[in-house]
Amino acid sequence: MGKNQQELLKGLSDAVVEMDEESTVSLAKEVVKEQHDTYQAIEKGLADGMDRAGKLFEEEEYFIPELLMCSDAMYAGLDILKPHLTIEDQTEKHRVVIGVVEGDTHDIGKNLVKIMLETAGFEIYDLGRDVPPKDFVAKAKEVKAQIIAMSTLMTTTMDGMAEVIRLLQQENIRDQFAVMVGGGPISQSFADRIGADGYSKDAAEAARLARRLVKGVAIVHE
Amino acid sequence: MNDLSPKERLYRVLQHKKVDRPPVICTGGMMNAAIVDVMEQSGSTLPAAHHEKGLMADLSEAVCQKTGFEDLGLPFCMTVEAEILGSEINFGSLTCEPKIAKEVFPSVSQVEYRDLSVLKESGRLNTVAEACSVLAGNHPDIPVIGSLTGPISTTASIVDPITFLKELRKDRENAHRAIEYVSDFLIMYAEKLVESGASFIAIGDPTATGEILGPKMFEEYAVLYLNRIIDEVHRMRVPVILHICGDMKAVKHLVPKLHSDTLSTDALVNLKLLKEEFPNLVTMGNLSTYLLQFGTVDKVADQAAKLLADGIDIISPACGLSTSSALSNIQALTNTVKESGNGSSYL
Repeated sequence: MGKNQQELLKGLSDAVVEMDEESTVSLAKEVVKEQHDTYQAIEKGLADGMDRAGKLFEEEEYFIPELLMCSDAMYAGLDILKPHLTIEDQTEKHRVVIGVVEGDTHDIGKNLVKIMLETAGFEIYDLGRDVPPKDFVAKAKEVKAQIIAMSTLMTTTMDGMAEVIRLLQQENIRDQFAVMVGGGPISQSFADRIGADGYSKDAAEAARLARRLVKGVAIVHE
Repeated sequence: MNDLSPKERLYRVLQHKKVDRPPVICTGGMMNAAIVDVMEQSGSTLPAAHHEKGLMADLSEAVCQKTGFEDLGLPFCMTVEAEILGSEINFGSLTCEPKIAKEVFPSVSQVEYRDLSVLKESGRLNTVAEACSVLAGNHPDIPVIGSLTGPISTTASIVDPITFLKELRKDRENAHRAIEYVSDFLIMYAEKLVESGASFIAIGDPTATGEILGPKMFEEYAVLYLNRIIDEVHRMRVPVILHICGDMKAVKHLVPKLHSDTLSTDALVNLKLLKEEFPNLVTMGNLSTYLLQFGTVDKVADQAAKLLADGIDIISPACGLSTSSALSNIQALTNTVKESGNGSSYL
């Protein structure tokens, strides 16, 4: 006998937390086969598991290798479920342009933030690492992003973040974007000093910050 | 004791012997002090000095003379190792240090294991070794420090880092095999530097932190392979300086397991408390590089005085320096430490 929907949701969430890619995939297939609600399976199963993994990360039960393996399980499940989403489920998402500022190629933290933001329902435009300030601005304008998220691990490259904000001001479009920053040498006081809208100390917090920043912000259509 | 040479002073501190005052050093590699001010004043500039032994030695001398750091540290990047092992390097500019443009292997199972005796004669290994030899010949009283990029960071510079971190759990066998290969390579590199006149070896391993790996992986991989390298360097009768990044909370209990002669830490760590907890530890650090970049001469001097008052054994910047740090700030650091030796209460 197949599992009921509640059991499947819990099973998916647990499989993600336990870094078990195989059972995530087989449970996701079961959701599809039993014609359960795929949107629910993503929200209350996979994303819930990733949320729990994020909490374990904050509590220092999990570290980066564990969090990455959880995300592998989550994405594997997502690959199975996504094609079965109905049109109504596919609401437009808030958009984030993310990248590591120019001069720095350390992108582990940025990739974690990307995973947590995707899990939290954002649409991510990843510029990768070693990104020049003007590229952040150009991409954010192009995709009509709500958030620009920047990270660095090197004190050497922190100025690039301030430069992005200066460029936005020069073009008189500063108020169209929320700017969030993070990474090893970054602090709340640095974020305040350069006029960023938010700072988060890790990937789990970044997802909460992003949700706060877009609260009440409409998705711009043209 | 006031006429201790910088080299003798560093040796003595690492052997737990009395000294007039702590040495003040900056090891090179990840923690190099080739700031723009020094390069502009000396005319020995990066990125050219990454590739030419004479320029590399000149720049190391200029750093020592202008900043007041009491050592000659080499090289000025963390990419010598990864380049030889096959990764693509972007050599940066005057103001921006070299970085890995692309890691050569997609996963630990696909690492190509090459003959170390061939690698020994390739790439910038020779440049760094020859620069060491010039410096050791010209400055017998100043420590020449050969800086290595640690085994975890080097492996994460030749294997895609995200995949690598997952494979520390998923594919232990190949992860160990890859890091062991990198460690053997680093031992060979250290030996070459020692043969060329390096009197100390420093290891910086910024990917091997408690925050990234957690305590279990840190012990299984970082402690094991760092110690393997350190033990081999000790067999060459050369002391090892180890720098660990991050706040160390998750891995503090592993400090006594590390075989290095001193432990250098980030500004986040309270070295005074660490010393109280581990009285046999020779502590090194940890003047904020944020302060060196954005602070004033007075604030830097105050912070250096605090490190002295806390009894830190070797004074050094806490992390990699920004190339835009002001020379006057660095001089405030080195002068404060050096002046503490006058009328010293240490003896």
